[in-house]
Amino acid sequence: MKLLFWISSVAAVVVMGLVVTGFPAEAHHSSAPFYDDAQEVEVVGTVTGFNFRNPHSFLYIEGENDDGEMVEWEVELGAAVSMSRRGWTRETIKAGDPIRVVGNPSRAPGTHGLCCAELTQPDGSPIQLVRVGNDEVPLRLVAVIRTTAEE
Amino acid sequence: MRETDSPLFSRSLVCLVSAVALLSVSIGGSPVGVTAQTAEADVPDLVGVWNGGGRVRPVNGPNMPWTSDNFPMLNGRGVAFQGVFDEAIAPKYDCVPSSLPALPYDPYFMEVVQWPDRVMFRYEKDDVLRSVWLDGREPPLNEYTVQGFSVGHYEGDALVVETTQFVFDITGFDDYNGIPSSQLKKVTERYWREGEELRMTLTVEDPLFLREPASYTTRWLPAPEGYKLNTYECDAEDARRAVKYMIPKYR
Repeated sequence: MKLLFWISSVAAVVVMGLVVTGFPAEAHHSSAPFYDDAQEVEVVGTVTGFNFRNPHSFLYIEGENDDGEMVEWEVELGAAVSMSRRGWTRETIKAGDPIRVVGNPSRAPGTHGLCCAELTQPDGSPIQLVRVGNDEVPLRLVAVIRTTAEE
Repeated sequence: MRETDSPLFSRSLVCLVSAVALLSVSIGGSPVGVTAQTAEADVPDLVGVWNGGGRVRPVNGPNMPWTSDNFPMLNGRGVAFQGVFDEAIAPKYDCVPSSLPALPYDPYFMEVVQWPDRVMFRYEKDDVLRSVWLDGREPPLNEYTVQGFSVGHYEGDALVVETTQFVFDITGFDDYNGIPSSQLKKVTERYWREGEELRMTLTVEDPLFLREPASYTTRWLPAPEGYKLNTYECDAEDARRAVKYMIPKYR
């Protein structure tokens, strides 16, 4: 019986698992003037910093640009106040973490901004499961989906 | 020992004085506390922390809550202003708080607090606190602010809030459409309960830019038990950080 409950719980976690996704347009501004949603860029690199703030958090990644040069990418995420309701903290991602980001590139030439990004481990596996209901779940098992939900 | 020093006598005297005081309150009319309790019993219960996030209603954007059905009819001045507006100079990139009519639709939580002479709306977004005065006071002359001056009254089961005295705001309509608002802006909010939901219809008027009033209706759900609003503490550097990613409108 206990085993069945455990299996059910894990199944629920898999189904309800939250996303490690960037949310650029959290009632502060539209992403369209800043980022080109017709293009998608993939960056694999190392986290150099994470500003967990309002109105938008930013993640800094050292990775290659189109020319193969190492540059610092600036990934715009959601408001800390909203991300915290999904279980994020300023410790969720740390400098030195390997990471893969897929998102829309910034419009201004010569800039290296990204938004609306999906964040995963370099091999595409999830970074972490942040929260299910009111419980923080310490499993690294999560479906990655794209959503615009704020919470 | 004198009789008046007796503890029993002292307690009796205190009880007698208290009883006389209570009696005088009952006979003497309506001191503040009694009036407040009566008022509280009559007003709709809007108090609490409310969830206005993306799981409760569609997240705001260029077409939300202003859709093709309720998008405001701009006059010539409004259209011209919208045409020259440059997103890069929007005050929000300097942490100027959102205001009406956009603020209540921002996808965050808010708290409603009821006092005898006012209702307070505290928003997680931008740490905004609005006071809605119920005591009949008039707006102060020549005092214009980002959030305006709000007065309220109850109509049946609804709280009706009227806000005027706004500053001229180059993005005073919303965060997305480059529509300004003027000192003539007037916003009317009607709040009521439907079951566990808090609902609101908001109407905005601004004859300087709008041909006619525009309205939207939305809702909140109760926040999870025990939820406390987070502080926003807008960071001025992060607020402006992404502006460099835009193609400049004017060179």
